[in-house]
Amino acid sequence: MKVLELMERVESTDTELVVAWIKDAINILQSNYKDSLTATKQNIVKNQRDYDLPAGFVRIHSVSVLDTEDDSKYKSIRRIAGNHFVTEDTSP
Amino acid sequence: MSKFVDRYWVYDIQGRKLHLWKIRRFDDNVPSTDGELFSDARSNYLVYPPEAITNGLRIEHTSITKPFTTNNPNTVADSSLSEDASPTESSYINLSRLLTLAVVDYVRAMLSEKSADVQKKEYYMREFYKKAGDNESNKRKILMTGTMSPYAVR
Repeated sequence: MKVLELMERVESTDTELVVAWIKDAINILQSNYKDSLTATKQNIVKNQRDYDLPAGFVRIHSVSVLDTEDDSKYKSIRRIAGNHFVTEDTSP
Repeated sequence: MSKFVDRYWVYDIQGRKLHLWKIRRFDDNVPSTDGELFSDARSNYLVYPPEAITNGLRIEHTSITKPFTTNNPNTVADSSLSEDASPTESSYINLSRLLTLAVVDYVRAMLSEKSADVQKKEYYMREFYKKAGDNESNKRKILMTGTMSPYAVR
């Protein structure tokens, strides 16, 4: 459906506002449902704990690590609960 | 070399960062330079990733990719869609037909809110979530059959 058709259905003439609301709606849909999943990969660096979350992500569905010993399959890893004692390590 | 990653690697999310650890178990250890071996009581603890792995971390997520396109997403394969970075009235909304109808309800809800009609807004928001839920349940149609007992009354 084109933006114009949507505007006709809701009887609005403010294109910029309607486009902004469409983006909001898509954001809500991506937050609640798995309509389109994307996977991003990054290098694991030895002794580095912190990694950036993907730019523009709405909701994380799984985190996996490459199992190089098992035919290079990515396997989901578990999320650990609770607060951790070390908040920053300046010399890992 | 990483192995049994599903058992030995864990993560946590703190703010905008993902923290990655490996669980080190007793059998991973070698004696220290003093010949010390850890007892079972200290056998599980977390360490930073002990090795570098190229493209080792994979994060699966939803994001707003190509919200508007120049070609019709209902007739063209997803990989062939080209994004419309500056959407206009002639841009296509990159959603299925049912989800687009849900978005129509969302925009109606926002217009109702703008005109201070909260009841109407709530009605359209319910319609929005109903259609979004319908779209999701359409992916989970399961045909269920049950066997009938040989002595059942038919």
